[in-house]
Amino acid sequence: MQNTVLVVGAGPAGLSAAASVAAAGHRAVLVEKEEVLGGAPILSGYARLIPSGEWAKDAIGRMVARVEQDPNVTIHKGTRVTQVDGEAGDFTCTLSNGGTVQAGAIILCTGFTHFDSINKPEWGFGTYEDVLTTTQMEQMVAGGKIYCPSDGRTPERVAILLCVGSRDRQIGREWCSKVCCTVSANLAMEIKELSPETDVFIYYMDIRTFGLYEDRYYWKSQEEFKTKFVKARIAEVTRAPDGRLLVKGEDTLVKRPIVIPFDIVVHAIGMDPNEENPEIARIFGVGLEKHGFIERAEHYTNTCGTTRRGIYAAGAAYGPESIDDSISQGHAAAMRAVADLHALVRKAS
Amino acid sequence: MAIHEKSLIEPDHILEHEKLVVDGVDVSGHWNTMILPRTLTDYDDDFEKVIQRYPGGENVHRCWQCGSCTNSCTMYALNVDFNPRYWIYLTRLGLKDEIIKDKDIIWQCVSCNKCTNICPKDVRPEGVMKALAHWLEEEGHTEKKPSTIFDEEFWEQVERTGRIEDSHVLMHFLRKTRQPLMQEWLVDFSKRMLRHLPFAHLFRMGWNFLFRPRTRGWGRTGQVLREWVREQKEAAHG
Repeated sequence: MQNTVLVVGAGPAGLSAAASVAAAGHRAVLVEKEEVLGGAPILSGYARLIPSGEWAKDAIGRMVARVEQDPNVTIHKGTRVTQVDGEAGDFTCTLSNGGTVQAGAIILCTGFTHFDSINKPEWGFGTYEDVLTTTQMEQMVAGGKIYCPSDGRTPERVAILLCVGSRDRQIGREWCSKVCCTVSANLAMEIKELSPETDVFIYYMDIRTFGLYEDRYYWKSQEEFKTKFVKARIAEVTRAPDGRLLVKGEDTLVKRPIVIPFDIVVHAIGMDPNEENPEIARIFGVGLEKHGFIERAEHYTNTCGTTRRGIYAAGAAYGPESIDDSISQGHAAAMRAVADLHALVRKAS
Repeated sequence: MAIHEKSLIEPDHILEHEKLVVDGVDVSGHWNTMILPRTLTDYDDDFEKVIQRYPGGENVHRCWQCGSCTNSCTMYALNVDFNPRYWIYLTRLGLKDEIIKDKDIIWQCVSCNKCTNICPKDVRPEGVMKALAHWLEEEGHTEKKPSTIFDEEFWEQVERTGRIEDSHVLMHFLRKTRQPLMQEWLVDFSKRMLRHLPFAHLFRMGWNFLFRPRTRGWGRTGQVLREWVREQKEAAHG
């Protein structure tokens, strides 16, 4: 019977899970494949987070500091789990750094992989310098200046294309990535704030700024920051002779073809399953659901479960997830793991 | 080849020369028919602001195209081309030419305000219709409404003399709206008035008609007023 909980991945969910395991009086071992803790918000250089508005490095930085200062959390950076033996209550996990961890429970906080826009070549990413992803645009915002990468000029117009790598059967991605609408509306406001003379257009199929994001992001970006929302799924991004980008599509609300010049085109990229999920599934012996994310157990009474007893999951490992909800799920999974360990102890005694 | 479903193509997009010879080949009539593309190639980013400066147009930027206005519209029930949702969208993107195409129906809004009551984003579409109609009128796309002509005549006189001379306003209004001076109601009105032999009144009317006196000390006041109105107009419409 092991008291330790192994947490795999040190993004928002993992940092939350490790801290909660330790707070509940158990030992947590946090294993992160990168040399830096913080996950996507830190590794990809997100700007301000939704909905707090705090800079990612501050907010996530606090989470990192909390686990680093916790004597009950052991951290392995640049390390992977290579093998898992045993069963719920008594797992033996082999690490790539040669160590082993005896753990009673495992929480997979293995997150997602950003969609690679190269897989949608018709939208110009990788062909034109001024076609960017939301991640790159976030980095530009964090840098404090909005400009065209090709020649440094201030853009007159920016187009944000939604659902790049989401809701697209052609490329096998039949899910909504959940946060891109809100992220894009937020980004539109940040662009306008840094560069008031730039007009931002968002090309959408639907706007899914769910829950309380509706007025805080969608309405606010439209009403206070004059973001224009155009209902069109773009067919193609090309370049005009003068070097500006041409966004081609059908404006479904006027039933007319459009070819509109823009200075920057931003892809609101979706969340793919972690590209290592097949490997993760093999090592941990858990199932994947049909899109390739970690398969969620029956949720009502087996909360945060996977297809294997004693192994739990949280955050974007399960599917597209917001940062705040990932953090809540990390905490929930920690509580679930600790509670199950207690139940095993009671049963044994 | 004749064009099937010609109704789907806007008439000004069809190019056809009655007589045309290309490289010695006679391609007169529909043999030379060409159709211009319908592609929209740019937005006018400032047009929304122009409409917002007209009373009623202030909230047009809030629209998210749910179509509640068109659904509830009294006029839409009679004419499917009367589509407030569509015109609001055109306004937002600055597709002016498309709006001008509908200049002859936009003013038909009956101001029942069903759209304004139902709009979930408080766009006040009825106000937008009014703003668009005003813009079309001011830009000369539609003829001036009689009420506009009357207002202009009225204001012109006030500005000049500090007062209006009824018979002048009426005469000028009727002339500018190409209506006969001998209106039946006017003749009737005059006859009834004359029955009472109002000599003093008639004398005053005649005097004012001929000499058009100004309100005492109007000169400077009129100048200040004119200046103020100009400033207000500039502030509102740029």
